Amino acid sequence: MAKPLDTKLPTPLREPQIRPPQIRPPLVEGDKSLGDVTRDICKPLEATPTGLWYAALCVSLTALILGVTAVTYQIATGIGTWGLNKTVGWAFDITNFVFWVGIGHAGTLISAVLFLFRQRWRTAVNRSAEAMTLFAVMCAGLFPLIHMGRPWLAFWMAPYPNTRGPLWVNFKSPLLWDVFAISTYLMISAVFWYIGLLPDLATIRDRSLPGLRKKLTGLLCLGWNGSARTWHRYETVYLLLAGLATPLVFSVHSIVSMDFATGVIPGWHTTIFPPYFVAGAIFSGLAMVLTLMLVARKTMRLEQYITPLHIDRMCRLMLAMGSIVGLAYATEFFMAAYSGNPYEQFVFKNRALGPMRWAYWTMVCCNVVIPQLLWFRAVRSKLALVFVLSIVVNIGMWFERFVIIVTSLHRDFLPSSWAHYTPTIVEVATLVGSFGLFFTCFLLFCRVAPVIAMAEVKGVMGFRRPAPERDTQETAA
Amino acid sequence: MNSPPHPPRQALPTHGTTLTPQAFRTLQAMALGGLLVLVLGWFYSPLRIWSNLLVVAYYLVTLALGGALFLALTYVTGAGWHVAFRRIPEAMASLVPKTGIAILVVLALRMNQYGWQLHAGAPEGTDAGTYWFKQLWLDPPFWMARAAIYVLLWSVLALSLVAFSRRQDRLNPQELPRAIGSMKWSVRLSALFLVVYSITFSLASVDWIMALEPMWFSTMWGVYQFAGMIQATLAAIVIVGLLLRRPGRLLYGIFRTDHLHDLGKLLLGFSCFWMYIWFSQFMLIWYTNIPEETSYYIARMHGPWGPVVLVSVLLNWIIPFFVLLPKPCKRSEHVMMKVAVVVLIGRWVDLTVMVFPSTVGKLPVLGIWEISGACCMIGIFGLLFFKALTKSAPAPKNDPYYGESLSYHCS
Repeated sequence: MAKPLDTKLPTPLREPQIRPPQIRPPLVEGDKSLGDVTRDICKPLEATPTGLWYAALCVSLTALILGVTAVTYQIATGIGTWGLNKTVGWAFDITNFVFWVGIGHAGTLISAVLFLFRQRWRTAVNRSAEAMTLFAVMCAGLFPLIHMGRPWLAFWMAPYPNTRGPLWVNFKSPLLWDVFAISTYLMISAVFWYIGLLPDLATIRDRSLPGLRKKLTGLLCLGWNGSARTWHRYETVYLLLAGLATPLVFSVHSIVSMDFATGVIPGWHTTIFPPYFVAGAIFSGLAMVLTLMLVARKTMRLEQYITPLHIDRMCRLMLAMGSIVGLAYATEFFMAAYSGNPYEQFVFKNRALGPMRWAYWTMVCCNVVIPQLLWFRAVRSKLALVFVLSIVVNIGMWFERFVIIVTSLHRDFLPSSWAHYTPTIVEVATLVGSFGLFFTCFLLFCRVAPVIAMAEVKGVMGFRRPAPERDTQETAA
Repeated sequence: MNSPPHPPRQALPTHGTTLTPQAFRTLQAMALGGLLVLVLGWFYSPLRIWSNLLVVAYYLVTLALGGALFLALTYVTGAGWHVAFRRIPEAMASLVPKTGIAILVVLALRMNQYGWQLHAGAPEGTDAGTYWFKQLWLDPPFWMARAAIYVLLWSVLALSLVAFSRRQDRLNPQELPRAIGSMKWSVRLSALFLVVYSITFSLASVDWIMALEPMWFSTMWGVYQFAGMIQATLAAIVIVGLLLRRPGRLLYGIFRTDHLHDLGKLLLGFSCFWMYIWFSQFMLIWYTNIPEETSYYIARMHGPWGPVVLVSVLLNWIIPFFVLLPKPCKRSEHVMMKVAVVVLIGRWVDLTVMVFPSTVGKLPVLGIWEISGACCMIGIFGLLFFKALTKSAPAPKNDPYYGESLSYHCS
């Protein structure tokens, strides 16, 4: 294991001295120098993993193995191992798919949208949020593959001239749009994440003693030399990618929502679905980021980088998104009553009062009622409480998808075909396995890449050269 | 942390004019002339005049409310970039009561236009029992009372937001902690405004515009109205800002090119948002092809209204999107002015497409009544707005973020 070079530079060289007065609270606590940032964030990468990390890895690997076993059994036996029936043809599997796609959205929101909005607090959480995006989208992608029953034929989803007829994919189907939307999303997110990593990889390269780590990071950082030209190009690319990634925050979950909204099933077909799903996705994604970050900051000793201020900002965003989701629930109910359409009215009455009302009220409590606590600063500043709330929101958002999918299906137009749905052990194990995959990937990520974007954090610490005199009224370019 | 903010680098003019007397006279002529023609027209074609009045009043109230929305959004997000020109959205927000009364009068003129009774009960073959809620909701007295409540709530909150900001002006500039304290109350009030706004505005847009076709419904409607409203608000801020930054005017030296650039980015973003919402609503209804829902689009896209819908898409999204993509365009006064005017016309076309097919009929009309309506709208808004603008100092200099707003760098 390579050890860091202890840079003993004379003080004047070590840190720039100019820090203009600030009205806004500092984003990094503890009066850190730029060198401290590098040392603190690289520390977990350069030390051997703690017992806690191994324990966490064991748990998530166990869950993953459970999932792999369940999926193997299901593929060997058939989809009949699930609790689906003629009426409820979509249930657990697609719920998990939508849930995981949603989790991924906070990463792109934090890294791209908040970057365009100049929200500087994003720098502490964007790296790990983006990593979560990648892992969550991977988890999501697995579910349609598993549902195919014969996943080795998955390449049939790609539109290319073939010898099967030729048999083309159905371009009119939103399920195919999903294939395009999600693969684009995965690619852009991965590129964005990697580009953001470049300066940090170079930092790790420069700190490493000659060896495998230095070679690998040297290769991966694409010859980063820290010159003004490199930085200029990097920032241009980053801005462009942020601009490209922003529409993706909207498009992916809008298209996922169209899987349902283009149908004629009451409860699925409603025009508000695209923005409502996007808000819900960001809501659940932020909850997951909070859950993981609250753990990471404690176990990796990053309290001075991910401060109560960051948690507070994320809580506020979560409150805003949760309120939008609540407004969408209310709008759906209002419109069902207003429409005068008996089928719409039945579906919503059935959701709230029918046999699956427990799922509906779990969803309302977890997503709308309990998050209202976040209005209070006293709640937002109690991190243990925020942690519990974030898990509550995760549960609520999983139930939201379950409610939308299952309660709209289980009592369809023909009362003679009304049915009930109960998940089987195989389905539950598959869900547990996807969590195992997600957490395993995240734990490995913590070991191989800096969990905080060092270069970006250094940029928001308030060190800077005095700005050149600018005319307040410049002429137009 | 408690040290004073960056002082502005150059002494800024404290007094400047808003408009030339000539421009004032033009606005007066537009307002009076337009109104006169509309009043005369009432005897000729009341329905068409009323439709114009509805478009005008709704346009005005959403612009005013948009000013309050801009303030509230910037307060709750802790924004500092806009502070220097915050008096513009504040002046817009202070018009909420007046424009609110205007729309109440217009609504009261033809309450029955929204009436359930006009549409002769439930359609054939459906259970009339499922329509009880619509019957109750569109009952004229209840419907009118709700409208009054919406306007009252918006007025109280918008005026309080403006009052909070003006109170800052009376603070001692050296007292930063008190300024920060006063800002906290603005943030709380803004949060309250946003909650009240999101509920009442969705309902108001359903009540006033969607209910013109009482059989039609779309859950997206509130979001669609929000998108159009914020887009037009940004365009209006751009136009006023550009007019007032000319030498000798009120915001000379205060409204910077960086502000223009940021407003341009927001305008670009919200144009795309409008298109996204518009397309999602249209596509989902087109794809499922359910007769109850397609009626709205059949009236608008099959037949002579079709090209008008395309024009609204051209003005609201295609032009702003492609023109504003390059950075130099967002920093150019001429380009931004033109795009903002295009967006405001686009908003007018969009509202016309929402209202006219369900009131005036199958044929798009553009005659003296429509032109007078638009003139009247510009005149009234201009006069009220510039009058409101002179009621406070040109810039909120005691705001803690004022220095930041004058010195930040927009990349």
